[in-house]
Amino acid sequence: MDSGTWDGSAAAAVTDDYDFLSSTNDAELLKRAWRTEKAAPEILQFEAGLVDRSREQIQLVEETLEELMTSGSDPLTVSLNQMDMDRTLFLLRSYLRTRLQKIEKYMVHIHKNTELWNRLSEQEQKFAKRCIEDLEEHFEKSVLSKLPDRYKSSVKQSVISEEDDMVPEPQLDTYVICRTKRSLGALQLDNSGIEDPVDLDPGDLYAVRYKSIKSLVYSGQVELV
Amino acid sequence: MYGKKACELVKEFSSSESGQLSAFNTNLFAQVNEECNFHFHQLQSLLSKMQEEGSDNQTARNADHFGALIHHLSLVRNKRCLMAYVYNRAEVLRSLCWMVDPLPEEIQEKLSSSEKEYSKNHSATIKSYQSETDLDLAVDMVPPKDPYIKVRVLDDIGSVALSDQIANLARHAILFLRRTDAETYISQGLMEELTD
Repeated sequence: MDSGTWDGSAAAAVTDDYDFLSSTNDAELLKRAWRTEKAAPEILQFEAGLVDRSREQIQLVEETLEELMTSGSDPLTVSLNQMDMDRTLFLLRSYLRTRLQKIEKYMVHIHKNTELWNRLSEQEQKFAKRCIEDLEEHFEKSVLSKLPDRYKSSVKQSVISEEDDMVPEPQLDTYVICRTKRSLGALQLDNSGIEDPVDLDPGDLYAVRYKSIKSLVYSGQVELV
Repeated sequence: MYGKKACELVKEFSSSESGQLSAFNTNLFAQVNEECNFHFHQLQSLLSKMQEEGSDNQTARNADHFGALIHHLSLVRNKRCLMAYVYNRAEVLRSLCWMVDPLPEEIQEKLSSSEKEYSKNHSATIKSYQSETDLDLAVDMVPPKDPYIKVRVLDDIGSVALSDQIANLARHAILFLRRTDAETYISQGLMEELTD
């Protein structure tokens, strides 16, 4: 048996394990979800399980903290735990906030499109519906009620428009900065028709059009920074 | 010239500093609305005139047809401008809803009555999401560096039970508070953060 090869693959397995572990750590996953959500122009799938687990984790640390405080242990330990919890809380809040602000911006567009709509959590769907109602009412009172009948729609310019031509949509062909953990092989990054596959090297940063990598973002193979 | 006033309205918004609101231009807004109605009446009378003459407005290519088209397009353009004005202001309002609540007097003064109502409704919408998820999203706006920050109290708030202590928040007192506790007061303008 060639021991050299065996050693090599064992070492590889160890680093793989490390990668695997760090990529299943919830704090790491939350940070990643938050960063990707912040950078993506459109709304992404709500990370329900991750959010639930993070909240449980926060609760747990809160309880531990109380215990530590009552038992009068080292202030440094308390402070470190506190900081850890604060950071997780920040990530969680900012993640949810980023999503809500995206929903505010593209509410009608998200509501029309079943695929996008299903990416929202139940509470977010309620939020979106109320946002739309609020804004429609505001439009109605300020502008639409004063316009002639055939021009009263908030999504169409007039009855002649065949499609909804007044709905703000995200720009999916904007550039994003992305990074991949492992090699994904050659990718065709634009629809120009010219064969020009690009190799995304693991760990390197690339600026590409969001549209061309969005399926990789959905599957978690590529992360945005 | 048709559409000039609507254009002024949009320009007025876009020349204001981003994230800031100037007073709602009720006067100009009403004038654009009037212009819309004027276009509509012209459009109506041209269409009925064409009907009387028996010309089909799909195929006829005479002065009346193009006149009607101009009025329609001007109307649609005015509508777009009005909507853009209201929509973009609403966007600023929404971002303000995240930062301060309730809106201070000097901002309220600049809003139309519908905008006041909208900001109130939208604040309530954000609140109802927060109470459903049982999470305060109005704090932690910037990444935390230190769990405690140094603040100066700007108003007599009195004795308050905070998450880790009971503090006497008297005016001008300088204290170390938990950041999450302090942020609520800061957003209400009752405290300011001191940075060294």
